[in-house]
Amino acid sequence: MGMLIKAEFRKILTTKMWWAMMLPALLLALGWAWGVSALITSIISDISDVDLIEEFNISFDDLSWSVIALTRSMNIATIFPLIFGTLALASELSRRTITTSFLTASTRGALLSAKAITYVVWGLLYGVVIAIGSSIGTVLGSDSGYLPDAGQWLMIVLSGILGCLLWTLFGLGVGALMGSPVGALVILLIYSLIVGPIGDLVMTGLTEGSYLAGFLPNGSANGLTGATASQVLAGQVIDLVTNAGGTVDDEGREQFEQVVRGIAGAPGALTLWLSGLLFLAWTGVFFVLGILRNRNRDIT
Amino acid sequence: MQDGSGRIVVQNLTKNFGQVAAVQNLSFHVEPGSVTGFLGPNGSGKTTTLRMLLGLVTPTAGYATINGQPFHRLGNPARVVGGVLEAQGFHPGRTARDHLRVYAAAMGVPDQRADEVLNLVGLGAAGGRAAGGFSLGMKQRLALATALLGDPQVLVLDEPANGLDPEGIAWLRTFLKAFAQSGRTVLISSHLLAEVEQTIDQVVIISRGQTMYYGMLDDLRKAQQSRVIVQPADPQKLAVALQEMKISNVTPTPDGKLAVVGATVQQIGDIAAQAGVALYGVQEEKADLEQMFFRLTSGQYSAPSQVQYGQPPPVPPGGYGTPPQGYQQQPPQQGYQQQPPQGYAPGTPPGGYQQPPQGYAPGTPPGGYQQQAPQPPQGWDQQQQQAPQTPPGGWGQQPSGQQPVQQSPYAPPQQPPSPPPGDHNPGGPEGGNH
Repeated sequence: MGMLIKAEFRKILTTKMWWAMMLPALLLALGWAWGVSALITSIISDISDVDLIEEFNISFDDLSWSVIALTRSMNIATIFPLIFGTLALASELSRRTITTSFLTASTRGALLSAKAITYVVWGLLYGVVIAIGSSIGTVLGSDSGYLPDAGQWLMIVLSGILGCLLWTLFGLGVGALMGSPVGALVILLIYSLIVGPIGDLVMTGLTEGSYLAGFLPNGSANGLTGATASQVLAGQVIDLVTNAGGTVDDEGREQFEQVVRGIAGAPGALTLWLSGLLFLAWTGVFFVLGILRNRNRDIT
Repeated sequence: MQDGSGRIVVQNLTKNFGQVAAVQNLSFHVEPGSVTGFLGPNGSGKTTTLRMLLGLVTPTAGYATINGQPFHRLGNPARVVGGVLEAQGFHPGRTARDHLRVYAAAMGVPDQRADEVLNLVGLGAAGGRAAGGFSLGMKQRLALATALLGDPQVLVLDEPANGLDPEGIAWLRTFLKAFAQSGRTVLISSHLLAEVEQTIDQVVIISRGQTMYYGMLDDLRKAQQSRVIVQPADPQKLAVALQEMKISNVTPTPDGKLAVVGATVQQIGDIAAQAGVALYGVQEEKADLEQMFFRLTSGQYSAPSQVQYGQPPPVPPGGYGTPPQGYQQQPPQQGYQQQPPQGYAPGTPPGGYQQPPQGYAPGTPPGGYQQQAPQPPQGWDQQQQQAPQTPPGGWGQQPSGQQPVQQSPYAPPQQPPSPPPGDHNPGGPEGGNH
């Protein structure tokens, strides 16, 4: 197995794909975080200046609004590890290098497992790079008052890295299942960039804020980071309200979190853990189907 | 685990792709120390069989083993068997050396083995180039290098000569022979017998997914009928004389000679002497394998034609009035073009190639054959006059009925394409380096 993993790493490192995807992932994460955090900073500053807000003595300035920039930028940058993962097996199938790969592996199961392990590592690597890009972008664009503390930052970044890892494996599974890199990429990109986000929004709107969207792959994936951000913000709001002498019940908290999740790019998302488990399940389904499909696929 | 014998066993192997029966109940085995040719027309199931052997395609029934084990139970298979498969892929952006290093890692051989095999196949200087820029021949060499990476005991090659230049083919021959002589096993497929004839010891011939012949190449040679080409002063007279001696398989050639099957040179000479026909030339044509190959792989068409073949001789000479017309119609359909379809017919779906046989029918009604059999002087004259008009493939005039007659047109192309293996590179495998 170790030999096969080494071979898989060599496959990746002897072509340009890995950095050709990683570089734009880094730049997109950085740029997106920068832009969104700058935008949020300016909006929140404006809102805080509104008389009404000041009158109620809600200090918007105390909230870590930049977490939204962090989550949104990491969410959008996941398309690169997604592409990277999708091509893992699909491009071997279409380029027919899979023939030699199967001929030089003890069993197909061993090869596919080695590939899975290798892409777990690469998914994490992409996640770390994207997290670094998003963090730098957020720091650059955000008012320092809106930055989260270290613990909150770490939680969001970790959920983002987990998201990258799962998207990588999700892509690997779909690519392996379909066998055609172009077909798999077109479907996944259209889904994750257009159908997923818009569908989630429409579904959440039509069903008056149900969690339907949160059960779907894109919704649950975005929920992973979106719910983390909303949790951070909701905690801060509750602290504020409690400090002001008020109370917030669970229902009120959930309503607030849902609104923040919507802003963070995950409308209709469930809580952090549920989202994570659901996306893990989706990834598992496609991954296992893709692997099973290739255990018996006739390579002609 | 595996028994280390180097033996390949294919037993009752069957594969259906949906409705298409690609391979049907195929059985053969390959012993170490020999090169076995796996021959059949394109589409006859060769590639599917080899891919089943290498675990890439799952058989519908039967099994294929190497060293007594199916591929997936070989442990580290690349150390046991190397495969060079048709249309094997390379990442276009990966250099040849990197490609080999990837798989060297996968099979656990040291990295310097990559350079060793690159030099072995003559790609030493191209190791740093991306495989995407390689010619077909270079890709074949790289595929062979990949197969040799694990220093395997068994080598399976699917049409390895495709895209190789003559020098490359000569080198490959030498290499494979040396490989087998070291006690290892080679199974090589081809749709051209001539391409591998000088390399192989044993042969498996398949057609439409079924075994047509399996055995030693020499035995196949012996089984082949030869024919005698006679240049008599009076072909007509000799034909009649032969006929009387029950030698009925006589066919005129376009240049006024007679092709006789089923008689020795001595017999023909005696008969000619008795009949008072002078012979200007007698030449025995040894059968070549290509004919046998065509015959074996053309089961569907050859069967009915043999039946027809028995009929012509008895027909009375009177039938000779019409032959010229028959001939005139035939030339366009005949010549060399005719024979490949015949030979390939079985490999293709039955429906597709049944037409050629039908196509002959109008041009050659039963009467058409009669011309070729016995007699009338004018008939011969006409034939001879026509001979020049027929295309170089004039031989095709006979094919409709007589397979033996096809021997000669194929004989010439047989010999040239296969220069002695040693000629180009006496230095052995390294001779292919360039």
